[in-house]
Order: sequence, then structure tokens, then C-alpha cells
Amino acid sequence: MLHASLWQQSGDMTQRLLGHPFVRGLADGTLDRDVFRRYVAQDAFFLRAFLKAYALAAAKCDDFERACVFHDLMTGVLAELKLHGSYSATLGIDLDDVEPYTATTAYTDFLLRVAWHGSLAEIIAAMVPCMRVYQHLGHELAASLRPDHPYEQWIKTYAGDDFGQLCARLESLLDEIASNSPAVHDAYRYAMQCELDFFSAPMENTP
Amino acid sequence: MKLQMIEQSPLVLGAGELWPDATSGDFLSAIRDGNLPSEAFQRWLVQDYAFAKGLAAFQAVAVAKTPRPAQKVLIAGLSALDAELDWFEQNAQRQELDLNAATHPTCRRYVDYLVASAYTQPFEVLLPILFGVEASYLCAWSALEASGPYAEYIERWSNSLFVDYVAELLGICDHDPDEIQQRQFNEVLRHERDFWCMTWEG
Repeated sequence: MLHASLWQQSGDMTQRLLGHPFVRGLADGTLDRDVFRRYVAQDAFFLRAFLKAYALAAAKCDDFERACVFHDLMTGVLAELKLHGSYSATLGIDLDDVEPYTATTAYTDFLLRVAWHGSLAEIIAAMVPCMRVYQHLGHELAASLRPDHPYEQWIKTYAGDDFGQLCARLESLLDEIASNSPAVHDAYRYAMQCELDFFSAPMENTP
Repeated sequence: MKLQMIEQSPLVLGAGELWPDATSGDFLSAIRDGNLPSEAFQRWLVQDYAFAKGLAAFQAVAVAKTPRPAQKVLIAGLSALDAELDWFEQNAQRQELDLNAATHPTCRRYVDYLVASAYTQPFEVLLPILFGVEASYLCAWSALEASGPYAEYIERWSNSLFVDYVAELLGICDHDPDEIQQRQFNEVLRHERDFWCMTWEG
């Protein structure tokens, strides 16, 4: 299975993600609230680009059933954006007025370049890491949950079955459509790097 | 005269300190002084080739979106870019450089930005973006005297034909840039600045 092989080949980055101070802080609940606030704002900006990339992937599908899968994945992104909307009220963020960090625009420019200019296989390869990383983090961090955990909602969202099923459907599409070409491998690997940089940025960019 | 017009254009003046940041740096100073390590120059050639291929993709989409007569300037520029890619390939063969070497993340970010913009921005914004790419490159090289071990290269990217092309690009940009045009022009300069730093630092 291509999706499993690509994930396995990214084991070094997965380990770096799990040991990342942002992720460790999310797990034990010690993540600074301001850092989380900045992360949510950047993630909302990112998700709007992610939504567009799904739409462009759907437009590039010859197969109607596959296009419908992208529709479902878009619904999932909209649900995530709703979650961010609920955070924004309590965290005091205006999600319509986010100044993206360099790491954020690097990721969204990459996604949009691939989505507009690349093949369907490359688009999926560029999008799977985001889904798989979050599913993996949710699953791993679920063990850290305790009563009154400050990031319980975030962890439960990505540890949940709904999110896991969306991730699995996208990975199935990758297996059906893509081959292990250099372009696919490169898109997947670069997206993993973008994920790492994305978690670092809110800790480095202080107001 | 044309070079002065380019450097005094509203977009350049509106960029403030980003302009000198994007048109100077340690890499260019070392070329001027003739003491740039050959590996730094070769690294730059390989990354600049990757960039030029990305620019060709940007410009091809921009050609399709730009109405005539401005489109003629872009088509001529695209043809010149094709010749430029040939030159890079011949040069790389002579120097035994691998043009398929990994693209540096800084170069990659610049190309991703350009190609994504080509599809998502209207032609009125793409023109200042292209002007920013070419004007900063021209002015960076034009500040150097065409002498020393890199004279051929300095001459190549500061000659009168290139000046004419960049002046034509300026001529098809809006004379009074709006906020979005200026913001995207500035974004190009940030990428240019980072690109020069990358070629110097490796």
C-alpha cells in the first residue's frame, strides 16, 4: 500500500512531531494559551487553502464517485473550521483577519501551487500528511486526557472516528490514483516538513 | 535613463527598505570583488535554473490571462526565458553541474508563491509581480561593474536588451499601484532577498 509505505518512510519526521514542544505541551496541557491562540488563527488561515485544494482535486476527478469523496472531505474541513470558530470566541481571535506567518504561506503556497498546477496524484500526496499527522497525534495524545484537560476538545476531535474515517478515505484515494513516483514522494515528504514548521511557527512568532 | 526610471518607479519607492535588501547582499558583493567561492556560484546557478523553470510556468499562465497589447511583452519575455533556460543547460553541461539536484526550500517557496499566484491573482497583480522579479534581478546585477571572473554573467543580466524589457514591463503596470499590487510586489522582494541569502549561506 502506497499510503503505508509513504507514512513508514516518514518515521523520522513523525518522531520529531511527537517530540515537538508544541505537541508535548498539547499532550500534558502546559502549552501556553497565547501560543495555542496563535496556532488556531494560523490553522484557520491554512484550512481555507486546504478547502480550496480539495475543491480543485474534485474538479480534476474524471470519476464521479471520487469527486464525491472530495465533497465529503470538504465537509470535514468545514467542521474543523467550525471548531476553530468556537475557539475564536473564547480566545478572542478574528479568523477573518489573520496575518499568516512565513511557515503558513510556505505551506498554503505549496498546496495551492500543486492543487492548481499539479496532477490529482500530487494533490492527494500533498494533502494526506496533514490528515494523517493529525489523526496520529489525536490517537497518541488521547492517552494523556484527564478531567479538565485544557486541550481536550482538540485532542478528541482528531482522535475521533469521524476524522479517522476521512483520513482513511483520502489514503485509499492515494492508493488508487498515485504511483510511487518522485513527484508523489516529494510532495508527501515536503508536506510533512511543512507540518513540522507549522507547529514551530506559533512558538517562534511572538507578538 | 531607463534604469533610473525603473529604480524611481512608484512600486520600487513604495517598497522602502525591501528594495535595497532585495538587490544587494554578501553574494553580490563577493561577485563584485571577484572572490566568490566557485561552489557558491555553482550552487546559485543550479538553484537559479530551478527558479527560471518555475518562472516560465508562472509567465505562461500570466500570458494566458493578460490581454493584448500588454500580452505581447510577456510573450516576448517568455521566449527570452526559453533561451535563458537553454543557456543554463549548456552552462551546466560545461561545468558538469547536476541541474536535477534538490531544490532548496527557499527556492521552492519562491516558485510555489509565483505559480500559486499565477492562478489565483488577476493579471493586474501578476504584472507588478513579474516586474518585481525582473527589476530586482536587473538592478542587482547592474550595480556591479562588468569585470573580473564573473564579467560574462554581470554583462548578461545587465545589458541594454534586458533593461528595455524591464522598462516595458514597467510600462504595462498600473502607474498608480493599489495596496494589493504593492503588497505582492513587496512579497517578491522578500523572496528575492531570501534567495540571495540562500545562495551565499548554502
